[in-house]
Amino acid sequence: MLDDENENKDELFSSEVISEETNAPTSENKADAKPVSKNVKDTELVIGEPKGREYRKYKRTHKDKKKKKTTEVILNGSTFTEEDLFSTFESDPRKVNSVSAEGTINANLDDLFKVVGTNDENLEKLDSAPYSYWRMVFAELFRKPAAIVCLILLLIVIFFAIFGPMIHFYNPLNYVGGLWDHGERFLDELTANGGYLGPTKDYWFGLCGNNMGWFEGHDMWSCVWIGTRLSLLVGVTCALIEIVLGILIGAAWGYFKWLDPIMIEIRNFIYNIPELLLDILLMQFFAPYMDKYAFWIVVLVLSLFSWLSLASFVRNQIIIIRDREYNIASQTLGTKNWKMITHNLLPYLISVIVTTVSTAIPAAISAEVGLSYFNLSFKVTQGDITLGQVLTSAASGTAFMSHPYLLIGPLVVIVLLTVSFFVFGLALSDACDPKTHR
Amino acid sequence: MTTYIVGYTIIGLIIAFIIFCVLIKRQVIFAETPKMQKIFAHPLMFYSFRRLASGLISFVLAILVTFFLIRLATPPDNTCQDLFFNPKISTEVYNLKCNNWKDNMGFSGSTIQQLGKFFYAIIPVPKTLCITDIDTTLGMYTIQSCRTFIFDFGRIYKLSGTTDGSFVIDYMMPRMGVSFSIGIIAVVVEMGLGYPFGILMARYQNGIFDRIGRAYIISVDAIPGIAYYYVWMAIFCGWLGLPMRYIEGNFASWLPAILTLGFTGMAGIGLWVRRYMLDQFNSDYVKFARSKGLSERRIMWIHVLRNAIVPLIRTFPTAIISALLGTYYIENIYNIPGIGQAVMISVNSNNSSLLSGIIIVSALLSIISYILGDVCTALADPRISFTKD
Repeated sequence: MLDDENENKDELFSSEVISEETNAPTSENKADAKPVSKNVKDTELVIGEPKGREYRKYKRTHKDKKKKKTTEVILNGSTFTEEDLFSTFESDPRKVNSVSAEGTINANLDDLFKVVGTNDENLEKLDSAPYSYWRMVFAELFRKPAAIVCLILLLIVIFFAIFGPMIHFYNPLNYVGGLWDHGERFLDELTANGGYLGPTKDYWFGLCGNNMGWFEGHDMWSCVWIGTRLSLLVGVTCALIEIVLGILIGAAWGYFKWLDPIMIEIRNFIYNIPELLLDILLMQFFAPYMDKYAFWIVVLVLSLFSWLSLASFVRNQIIIIRDREYNIASQTLGTKNWKMITHNLLPYLISVIVTTVSTAIPAAISAEVGLSYFNLSFKVTQGDITLGQVLTSAASGTAFMSHPYLLIGPLVVIVLLTVSFFVFGLALSDACDPKTHR
Repeated sequence: MTTYIVGYTIIGLIIAFIIFCVLIKRQVIFAETPKMQKIFAHPLMFYSFRRLASGLISFVLAILVTFFLIRLATPPDNTCQDLFFNPKISTEVYNLKCNNWKDNMGFSGSTIQQLGKFFYAIIPVPKTLCITDIDTTLGMYTIQSCRTFIFDFGRIYKLSGTTDGSFVIDYMMPRMGVSFSIGIIAVVVEMGLGYPFGILMARYQNGIFDRIGRAYIISVDAIPGIAYYYVWMAIFCGWLGLPMRYIEGNFASWLPAILTLGFTGMAGIGLWVRRYMLDQFNSDYVKFARSKGLSERRIMWIHVLRNAIVPLIRTFPTAIISALLGTYYIENIYNIPGIGQAVMISVNSNNSSLLSGIIIVSALLSIISYILGDVCTALADPRISFTKD
């Protein structure tokens, strides 16, 4: 495709021509000129041939252009024909000054610019809008409709967990034996339904059925919301413990090299045994002390191994970040350790911490439900009601197949609670990541 | 006797093989034959040995944890009282019986001695363990009943459907078979559903299917397993009319459990397939292939998928081996007589040796599956090399 004429023009663009005749060859010219001369030759090379339908389409559309036999030049990634190139050179005054069509060079760039002078105040200013981390986080967060919906749902659930049982119902723990031991007004309805009473005007989630053991005859609404309270408390406490342990252990793990092989063996061990089995084992071990310290035992067991994933993440991050240039620079400039941690390390970890919190709370609630299923969690006879107990006792037997209301109440609350925590947390952790800002 | 011969032969062969490999690596033997060097001194071989050693540490830790949390936390006197207390027999006979039972179960002696006995029973070496019985009705004499073991996890007491003193290992083996037969079908179902699910989500990224799929994955992740399984149960058994209880030999009664497992596992697989495929889609070689005019279909199936599956290869052995252990909730919900149900039974009937047996077996199996997974990944991925340079 390259004719003799074109070869002459190729010489015109080469850096040597420019540098010989200009007194002050700018680096810009060189950088521009070299790829041009290279790429003109590169157009000769055909790197592989496209096949199939795409190629046939390509052939059809490019049939006409091929006949003209024009030279294509690739410059800064975009393709120009020879004519295009000349027209751009003509329109751009700087290029015209350095390389004109005839090959004469006029290097009077100074004429095109004038000196404005310096202003000390302007030198200090950055030409960008003021940036606030937390404002950006919330701006990002509230851009997502899913996050807003989940936040509202979460607030509703928390509101009912606090005020739900207070509205016009009662505390089931004060009415041991259920409602029908304390008044016979639904006896007819109950016997008609075989011990089950669905949602009514007074009892919004219905009454707990015959299959529910201790809960039998209690108002489902009150049981669910009182259970939500304790479940939330367990979840939040576990998440807090997990964060503190995860960061502290992860930091020590990353900092002390001798700790590494030991921690890796511990990690392998914990990953090797199913978590539920370990939890069951520990709950059985602590069973004699459940009367007095039920809450703390459950929290301890649920958070005993969950710090592991956060710790190993923190360890990896610390190993990576510790030796980055900006940290070495801060160190040599005499930054204090505390400031290093808060300003250099923590901003990297904040998004992970938020993710951990948001997933740890539903995870702890779910784990408590699992323990309740094995009857190893809180004991309702000791006055502790959790969502897990309500759910598993509602689902015991096959009564929920014929009376679905038994399952719907606790299920809806537990699903709303965990899913909205999860989704909101994921959105928040996305928003906390400074890389997504702007 | 056959157990001894087979057991010691296997152990001897393993030790001989390791020594053989080490000798070749040190170039003591076969130093001039590169073929032997290539096979037996392969870095992968020694990597597997190192992993085995690391797995052994985990195994020992698991035994220690179960010993200290189960054996020492459940005082044998309570169980003894449960088993032998009878107002008709004298205290002497009771003590005799109780001490004999403690001897048999390895509860006698100091803590260190008990730990030694516990270890000896569990380590996979052929051994013969004998029980002495005291028959008080015909006068006092002892009966010896001996049995040869590879693994011994102790005995079961006070459990309906079993005789007192039957072996944990005998109780577990048929249950493992049931768990495996359901689990392996579930693995096939979840992989058959999960891979197309992930591929479709990655192919039409940010499309409607992708959004629905992500919502499904998040909900499976967030909702507690139990709550989620009951929803499936309502769908399968209430709506579709499948049987609610497991019946041996009736495949329709296996279906709810298999489908529940399949639909749950599908979410996890789909998540990772999607993530790895999107990683590949954004890589340079795909852009290059596209710029060369390869069809999207060819890029997708030949280039992207093959690379995306490499990190997922380690999940295959794990999925197959963990099918042996069953699932804790689903087996209880559908009344499947598998290992998962045995966990519940051991908790409810306070059979600590059954629980410790299940924990040790699951630790052993998961160690093996992790090592197999790593070896499979190393074999499949040409980028992984074990040499440091």
